Amino acid sequence: MNAPAIGRVVATELKPSTPHEFHFWTATETSIGIGAIVKVVGTPLHDRIVYGVVTEGFAYSDLATPLHDVVGAEGDPTSAEAPTARQQIRYWTAAVLRQTPEEPLQPVPLGQVYVAGDADVAQALRMDAFLYSATPTAIPVGLYTSGGREAPVYLDADFLLGPEAAHLNISGVSGLATKTSAVEFLLASIFAHFPAHKGRIAAVCFNVKGSDLCFLDQAGDLNDEDRHRYDALQVPAQPFKRVQFYAPYKSDGVNLNTLRTHPDLVGDVEPLTWGLQEVVDFAEVLLNRDDIDAKADAFIDFLRDRVLGRTFDDGFGTTHRVTTFADLDRLFRSIFDGLEITAGGRSDTWRTHHIATMRKVRNRLLNISTRCKGLVTDDGPSSDLPWKEFADRTVYVIDIANVDPLGQDLVFARVVSKLREQLERRELGVDAVVVFVDELNKYAPGDGPDTYVKKMLLDISERGRYLGLVLFGAEQFRSQVHRRVVGNAGTQLFGRMDMDELATPGYQVLSPATKSKLATLPIGELMVRHPHFTQPIFVRFPRPPVLRGRDGVGRFPPAEDVPFDDAVVRQLVRLDRRVRPNQVKDLIADREQDDVRRALAAVRRTRPDDAFAYFRKVLGGRVEPDAALRREHEVVPPLNPISDEPY
Amino acid sequence: MTWWQALIHAGAVAATGGRRDDVEQTEQGTAELVEDAELQAHPIPEPRIPSAASFLNGIERWSVVAYDGVVQIVNAHVAAAVCRRDRQGVLHTTGELHRSFALAPLKRMSAAMRQKLEQSCADIEPVEGDLVEQPARYLEMIESTVRKIRAHHERELAEEAIRDLGEEEWLVLDGRLSRSPAIAKHPRILGAIKSHGAQFLEGRGLERALTLPAGHRTSVFLVRGGHTRTEVYSWYLRLWPWEGNDLLYGLLRIEARADPETVRQAAALSGWLWAERAPLATPATRWDRLLYPLHHVEAYLNARAPRDLPSRRASSRLPRLAS
Repeated sequence: MNAPAIGRVVATELKPSTPHEFHFWTATETSIGIGAIVKVVGTPLHDRIVYGVVTEGFAYSDLATPLHDVVGAEGDPTSAEAPTARQQIRYWTAAVLRQTPEEPLQPVPLGQVYVAGDADVAQALRMDAFLYSATPTAIPVGLYTSGGREAPVYLDADFLLGPEAAHLNISGVSGLATKTSAVEFLLASIFAHFPAHKGRIAAVCFNVKGSDLCFLDQAGDLNDEDRHRYDALQVPAQPFKRVQFYAPYKSDGVNLNTLRTHPDLVGDVEPLTWGLQEVVDFAEVLLNRDDIDAKADAFIDFLRDRVLGRTFDDGFGTTHRVTTFADLDRLFRSIFDGLEITAGGRSDTWRTHHIATMRKVRNRLLNISTRCKGLVTDDGPSSDLPWKEFADRTVYVIDIANVDPLGQDLVFARVVSKLREQLERRELGVDAVVVFVDELNKYAPGDGPDTYVKKMLLDISERGRYLGLVLFGAEQFRSQVHRRVVGNAGTQLFGRMDMDELATPGYQVLSPATKSKLATLPIGELMVRHPHFTQPIFVRFPRPPVLRGRDGVGRFPPAEDVPFDDAVVRQLVRLDRRVRPNQVKDLIADREQDDVRRALAAVRRTRPDDAFAYFRKVLGGRVEPDAALRREHEVVPPLNPISDEPY
Repeated sequence: MTWWQALIHAGAVAATGGRRDDVEQTEQGTAELVEDAELQAHPIPEPRIPSAASFLNGIERWSVVAYDGVVQIVNAHVAAAVCRRDRQGVLHTTGELHRSFALAPLKRMSAAMRQKLEQSCADIEPVEGDLVEQPARYLEMIESTVRKIRAHHERELAEEAIRDLGEEEWLVLDGRLSRSPAIAKHPRILGAIKSHGAQFLEGRGLERALTLPAGHRTSVFLVRGGHTRTEVYSWYLRLWPWEGNDLLYGLLRIEARADPETVRQAAALSGWLWAERAPLATPATRWDRLLYPLHHVEAYLNARAPRDLPSRRASSRLPRLAS
């Protein structure tokens, strides 16, 4: 034993050692504290090594009662300090992490206590099994730094990313740069250490507030301590090499709805725009449950199955092919006119659907294109994620921070459903995808209605690990997130917590000292729970290697929205650097903006060699939706129909 | 109103207790004033605590562990320790002596038992066997023997401590100074006596000493007593008000070397020892007279004493209910 003992196990009748807990004392001046990992070496008579983590600390003197101190000071707290310091004790309680041998499980022996070294930490946290195996699956999560040590702590990829367990949940108060930073660091760690035998991995991050995730490809400021930690954890201190940013347009249809609009960076942002088909597939996401009854549900299904993308006779002599919202509106008008004029107002039903139901559905659907203008276009999916072509170790950031909540739900539901569908078919391009969702309080609250998004999050939580669909969720109040969402997270991280939150039943398993530490946890420190760790462990992690949102906005201030013609020029130049701005401006000077948008979308879809020539050509007349996009209806099936009512 | 309340109403001082004080194992001493013409009560000045001080105390434990016929075989443990106080007020043990041994009247034991004892016990203190047939007196003799051995250890340790004592450092002993001439004549050793079985004063002086107000000391007087017959200077010091308790409550007798310098220092030394009232030496029963550092040394020795020798005060033979 090289390091000297720092304490001794003591056990009394009132406070005995048990197989899961023991007590020890140390010198008054000691390096250990709450969260420190210690090792107990039993006597030769009780040959047993026990690893424990300190969960509680006590200090007391031989003062029998506080009154004796009052008497000693003659009731005067300002009286001179007593010449002799009372005998005092530092008495600690530790929870057992591991015993060697593991069987028979016995109470912790009376023995000397040592500060755990690096190898001891690996043993104590059962990391040896996945760290030193033939096919290691260790993912560094941070450094255990208690007692002056710096021991890397690893998570088991099989339990973080599936298939044994999966998902990660992180809680913490807002504004301390912990939750997002931790996830950014952990993603970097995963990308650096995800074992080759487990295949390819990517991450999809929903940026739901500010510019949090808008600069993942830019290097952040790191100090020497951070670099030292990166070295210790063997994670490159570099921003993500492969990041693809997606953002919908603003309502003008040409300026991107993101804070990453600095001229140096905006070129990397792909527009995210969807058409009617994508919206109707997820109509349930968009339509308020209270709003939609069985009749409306049935009519939406009718539209989806019989009308969209097909040639359809409305029964009043007009044939429709509905692929856009405009087409849909024309269909509705035709039906209403038919009922009013052709039928002479005598009938109020069409194909068994009541006119009031149809009017309600029309209002709701067309309202979506208004509320989500910029995300939802008339012309189908002009720009989408690279489905079936996801790349290994790539982060796909979808910036929906400034999108209407309805649009956020739509984006989330569609992206996750597509991921699920393609992972199920093994055609996504990667074997596992980490989906990072912040603000789980909002998307999967413990109470409130069963929304489609919540059901989807529950589904990922409960079944995602089999598919390789892994949820990294973050929230401020864990107690207010749906129990099954947080409960299914195999790995849980805790940043600084609010005391009110810590008073909720979910934290009863923690000692008062651990709660106190959680309530005052500094930036960069986390409490980790992982299936291999029998007790929570505190770790420190370096600042993420990327530019934080706030700093990014400072270094790359978002550009002001540019006028319509400049925005069109900018997009065309991005597609073809030979495009001359004045030519474009002259061309679109007296044209309808909707026509220009359609032409632009056509250019984006087609990606011709000569962008300007193609743009001029398609702008010449009504720009029809690309026939190639009139694909057969491939509906991504909803996870669980919200309504059990029959069609 | 009770009769004693009537007395208090008439001017008597209220009191409680009436416990028996431990009797000093010493001959009756004689006292001779060396300060003032008549024994006076002096208020003590603001305390000045010496930068370095050590404290010495000892313990004894013994128990009858076997009978050879009516011969009582005793297991005993004595120990003494010195603790030095650092600048932060923390006590550190700097010297320690201890002895665990058997006491037995070897000549009165059966041959087999004696042989077994000599084979199995490395340290045997033989005692006279005259009192074997009188068990109670025999045990008094045992107690006296153990106490002497303890005193011997304390003396030995004190003499060792003197050699290590710093230039400005004081040594405070629990008990009398007259253990050895070297101790009694050292300029920076004080004895703190808690037991007042031996009285050195009489008449008006005794009354002044026993009714000394808190925060006062008496005049210094010369004491000649103890088996060494070494002269020492002494004075009484009241740490806590006796009114409402008993005459000996909070009363310490201090011994120092017999030297005029002691008279000059008596006030300052009293101030220092008065400051040592805090922290209280609870839960010791005589905390009113026991200085905390001496209590600490005793607690240290008790913690290290053999577990099979319980303190004699723990006399219950029933199992303890909880720890």
